[in-house]
Amino acid sequence: MKSIVLSSVVIALLVFSGCSSKEPAVDAKAMDTTEVVDATPDEEVAPIATETVTSEESVVNSSTNELDMETIENKLPTIYFAFDKYDITPDMQEKIDAAAELGKEVSSTYKVKLEGNCDEWGSDEYNFALGLKRANAVKQALVNDGVDSSRISLVSYGESNPVCTEHTKECWSKNRRVDFKLLP
Amino acid sequence: MKFFILFSMLLSFIYASDATIEVVKKVDSLPSLAIEDASISYDDTFKLRFFKSIVADVNVISIFNVDRHHRQSAFNASDVLRENKDKNYVLRYKMYEDDNAALNINMILLNKNNVVFSKNYRVRKKDIYMFVSHAMAYDINEFMGEPSVAWMKRKVIFTRIIAPKKSEIVIADYTLAYQHTIVKGGFNIFPKWANRAQSGFYYTSLDAQKPTLKYINIKTAEVKSIISSDGMMICSDVSDDGNTLLLTMAKDGQPDIYTFDIKKNSYKKETSYKGIDVNAQFMNTKEIVFISSRLGYPNVFIKKLDTNEIEQAVFYGNSNSACSAHGHYIVYKARESSNMFSENTFNLHLISTKTDMIRRLTATGVNEFPRFSKDGDAIIFIKNYKGQSSIGIIRLNHNKNYLFPLLRGRIQSMDW
Repeated sequence: MKSIVLSSVVIALLVFSGCSSKEPAVDAKAMDTTEVVDATPDEEVAPIATETVTSEESVVNSSTNELDMETIENKLPTIYFAFDKYDITPDMQEKIDAAAELGKEVSSTYKVKLEGNCDEWGSDEYNFALGLKRANAVKQALVNDGVDSSRISLVSYGESNPVCTEHTKECWSKNRRVDFKLLP
Repeated sequence: MKFFILFSMLLSFIYASDATIEVVKKVDSLPSLAIEDASISYDDTFKLRFFKSIVADVNVISIFNVDRHHRQSAFNASDVLRENKDKNYVLRYKMYEDDNAALNINMILLNKNNVVFSKNYRVRKKDIYMFVSHAMAYDINEFMGEPSVAWMKRKVIFTRIIAPKKSEIVIADYTLAYQHTIVKGGFNIFPKWANRAQSGFYYTSLDAQKPTLKYINIKTAEVKSIISSDGMMICSDVSDDGNTLLLTMAKDGQPDIYTFDIKKNSYKKETSYKGIDVNAQFMNTKEIVFISSRLGYPNVFIKKLDTNEIEQAVFYGNSNSACSAHGHYIVYKARESSNMFSENTFNLHLISTKTDMIRRLTATGVNEFPRFSKDGDAIIFIKNYKGQSSIGIIRLNHNKNYLFPLLRGRIQSMDW
């Protein structure tokens, strides 16, 4: 019993000595040292302008192709999704079926890039993945409708490509979408 | 009874170092500190700007009750100002410009009119004064014998969205007072420091045909393409030695986690679930945490890299869509409400894989993108609240949060 009392006292002393006062001693060594603060090695590097030649912009204006592309692209739908979901609703399925028909009519001429997008709830990787799963769901539906899968590429822009920037329910539902973009 | 005392003492020892336990320190119990400006160069605007910076930094080290009054004194005065004579500490500094237009600062820390610590600083331009302020606070913290705040001297890299599909990558100090745009134009996101020295970084470029991971050496501005993937390409984490990357790629439209060996230029698929697997972070060299939808909603899981063993790490919340790890601590983002359009806020929570404790770290707004500091002392995160983006710092052992707002644009992602 005595030893328990003793050890309690020792531990108590240890605990309280741990919270010692903040009275520091004079540190003579630190006197008159000058630290050269050089924290900005990057400062000398001019901003790197990234290449902005996208495939859309690098199209050669050789024929009326571009006009065709624009006309067809305007006929292609936007597919919308429910909050936090990537499954295709029946009304959206109809739009995809129509797009697939259009795709087959102009088949072998263009490739299609499906761009998945999300609302502003979250900028993390999960949101990007959600955008991608949406694009992939549209791709699978197009493939089921007979479109050659090698003509379809995917990209997700997460929440970084909104068509509507107000903070309303309607606005967010417009941003949860997959856009069709034609590539030559 | 004695046994009980002994037991509770032991218990307090065990929990003393557990960051999931909230430590409530009363402001009154911290030693008081006043700051005296004894500068002889520069105009009042700059003097005040520097003063605010040093006040903020000394406040963030969380060991003083800091007086915010800007008072001027003489550097060599033997006594502290009358208003400050009751303070435990007085920090006095003198800024002066030398012949090379460099900013010089002499600093002394006084305790009862005695100089207990002193140091001088020099920086080649006054525009980057904030780094001197951070260094001063860092040194005072070291002198007081507190756990290191080395993260204060590190740089933050973040993506600022300026318009749909348009972004900039910016390098900043942790308070965002210094900002240097390093990548301009195009659509570039998810920057990630390539090593501890912060001499280069990885980022995702969405301008090319396929999402591409690129590397920039910030000293030479050399840009290298590393790897591309259809659909998605993100560098989620870099190992401590800088040799292994954790990537999210989406070969065939399926987001999965891959390890990428920089030296061999080869990758290995780590997860293969038909839903979503993203956001992998190293816990140590053998284990990773990641976000997966394998339960039907996003949640945090742990994978041992040598085996295919996967276990659930978090058992609270029904939408946990981002995480970061440091040793056995995991910080994650949880959606608080199932009503998505009312008070839908995201808060950060901290757990330890060794205990059942859970600690909520934030209370309002959208709090996301948590990242531990390298030493685990602090967590940095993005807060989006009422249309403004801020970078937040949580001092785990001091139970304090600090916010540094971004004046323009929205922060998409960041690393430090």
